[in-house]
Amino acid sequence: MKVIKIDKKEWAKGLERLSKTYQLFGPAKHEAFFVFKALEDGELPDLDVQNTRLSPRSVIYPQSEKMFEYTLDEDQEDHHILKEIDKEYSSRAIIGIRPCDAKAFLLVKRNFDAPEYKDPYWIKSYEATTLVGHGCNAPCSCCFCTTAGCGPFHEEGLDILLVDVDDTYLAKIITEKGDRLLAAAGWDTKTDTATNDPIENMKEAAEAKITSMVSTDQLKDKSTTDLFEASFWEDVSFACINCGTCTYVCPTCWCFDIQDETHGLSGIRMRNWDSCMYPLFTFHGSGHNPRDTKTQRVRQRFMHKLKYYVDKYDNGIQCVGCGRCVRFCPVNIDIRRVCDLMNSFEL
Amino acid sequence: MLSYIDKIKEISRRLLKESKVDMVIGFRKGTVVMMNEPCFVKTVADVDKLVWDSNCGINLANYLANRTEKIGIVAKGCDSRNIVTHIIENKIKRDQVVIIGVPCKGMIDRHNIEAMAEAEIQEVIETDDTIQVKGAGFEKTLDKKEVLQENCAICVHRNPVIYDELVADEVKEQTDVDRYEDVRHIEALSPEEKWDFFEDLLSTCIRCYGCRNACPLCYCPTCFVDESRPQWVGKSQDSTDIRTFHFLRAYHCAGRCTDCGACERACPMGIKVRLFTKKLEKDCLELFDWEAGLTLEKRPPLDTYRPDDPDEFIR
Amino acid sequence: MGIEPGRLQFSWISSAESTKFVEVVNEITTVIKALGPHENFVKREASIA
Ligand code: SF4
Ligand code: SF4
Ligand code: SF4
Ligand code: SF4
Repeated sequence: MKVIKIDKKEWAKGLERLSKTYQLFGPAKHEAFFVFKALEDGELPDLDVQNTRLSPRSVIYPQSEKMFEYTLDEDQEDHHILKEIDKEYSSRAIIGIRPCDAKAFLLVKRNFDAPEYKDPYWIKSYEATTLVGHGCNAPCSCCFCTTAGCGPFHEEGLDILLVDVDDTYLAKIITEKGDRLLAAAGWDTKTDTATNDPIENMKEAAEAKITSMVSTDQLKDKSTTDLFEASFWEDVSFACINCGTCTYVCPTCWCFDIQDETHGLSGIRMRNWDSCMYPLFTFHGSGHNPRDTKTQRVRQRFMHKLKYYVDKYDNGIQCVGCGRCVRFCPVNIDIRRVCDLMNSFEL
Repeated sequence: MLSYIDKIKEISRRLLKESKVDMVIGFRKGTVVMMNEPCFVKTVADVDKLVWDSNCGINLANYLANRTEKIGIVAKGCDSRNIVTHIIENKIKRDQVVIIGVPCKGMIDRHNIEAMAEAEIQEVIETDDTIQVKGAGFEKTLDKKEVLQENCAICVHRNPVIYDELVADEVKEQTDVDRYEDVRHIEALSPEEKWDFFEDLLSTCIRCYGCRNACPLCYCPTCFVDESRPQWVGKSQDSTDIRTFHFLRAYHCAGRCTDCGACERACPMGIKVRLFTKKLEKDCLELFDWEAGLTLEKRPPLDTYRPDDPDEFIR
Repeated sequence: MGIEPGRLQFSWISSAESTKFVEVVNEITTVIKALGPHENFVKREASIA
């Protein structure tokens, strides 16, 4: 794995060259907080941000996305037929994504790019995207990534890892995609080949700063029915207002709902993010809803992330410990507390 | 205000011990700074979990609708007004609740305080008038008055309007506040400017409905945005649909909203959703001399008829 | 909320007041025609990604 040094003075110029062949996204300030957005000409990603309010999930998987179009005009030959929409999947890059958010895409990939089902929209857009990560030197106090299968310098899911060292960025090239991006940016990569040591040191220092932890080791062995019927759900869910914030800010949530909207004789089929917190989630055509109450919905969220996912993929929990749901839940329902309750649950 | 907790615990213990209530709804200590979590307490032993400080902004009346138990509930001025509204609207019966009234001195705005700090806040220490925040490499003491939630800063009903027990003497009500400065500013805009103002206001809305769900008034079994047979509103991020949601939500709160600030507090995107409901609240005050939730004796303006209605067409 | 004055009007007309109904309708259509078509709050195809 090659590590190169990028002089910060050259940073902007490289990004400008990059913007010729890549559409660039990055963290940028929006009023009081940071979000990931498409960078305008000459706009630099703000790499000082600790963590964005919303995850970069929408860059690959927009909150509302058209899937098909159709016409109801019976004079047209193809009436009542869903037609694919031409979509643009040219190269794009997210500059300054945090390692947790990048790893989150891998978790989601297990669902959208599974052997039995392939989601073309997600896959195409994921494949078109290069992820340039930025190591976290100062993780927030709510982050628990190190015990959620991730970490402040975690490389899985990234194409390049950037590390901020004085007036340079060290860039560790992790994948071929990353290599291609560096070539397009044209930073001087030959003259100064750096070593991995400073990255390792900073990584250790950053990991040591993470004080918030969860235990997940017992989840797999717990009985699903016992957890499902555990008595703590009433207490855990009492405060929840089912607002769905936790699932919308989360980089690893993936649920969506499909809708047709017709205007006159033409229409589109679209999908919108959905959340297990909402009353329409799994609402059957018959009028029955297996998750009709708040407690059932809250249980679904935690069981999905911390039990069903664990069992189905045998690859850890469906959470990367980014801490967003902890910070933004308006009533302070804390996944760390619930995870520990589940992990230590005894009948 | 910090001293209230002993009295809250004492009353809760007594109510539970004497089986006057099945549960007490209050707050327990949060897991992150400047947050407490609404909770219920069903046994005397659990009463010690309860806390009270300036991070109890969530409107607990939201947890009452359609409950069947006998409930003790800790209530600030605004919560008590929403309890009144619930009673008027048959969401709970008066004799089902024992209201533990809390004369309130205002709740703090954590998002605002976070925005004022140089780095992440790791510790917050509160006294009656100050909020001290600490983080890596900084420490400062803020005047609590300066960091109140906006609705608390202009609140004129800090004392519970209805209660069975009061945890302390009533506090002085604020009289010299200008409640509607921001609304007047919007009223003065031209229709085009108004349109742009709201477009901008809602530009970051992710339609999570946190504002709706945090609100005690929004208890409909199926909200109009969730109605699917037929569907009233599109469900995508289309701006017309987002706007429709916000305007209709606000209108459904007309004459009922107590400006408790729960909606704004809940919004993960920091959108000032109170601007919608405040305009209607102002209208109700000016046109009908009405403030929601002050009395059990009168019907709210939108579900009653008065021969002296200010609008000519209806007289 | 950005709707021009005059575009939204309320009247109370009894089923017996047919002439009033005609008057009101005529009056409103004149006012609305003068305002022209409404552009805000009109949804065609959802504007999404
Ligand atoms: S953010 Fe909190 S209150 Fe909202 S749905 Fe999630 S757990 Fe419930
Ligand atoms: S569940 Fe919470 S902490 Fe975990 S990835 Fe999602 S938002 Fe982050
Ligand atoms: S079921 Fe809930 S927790 Fe699981 S991915 Fe969907 S929204 Fe997220
Ligand atoms: S809480 Fe905020 S983001 Fe969510 S729907 Fe309301 S205004 Fe929009």
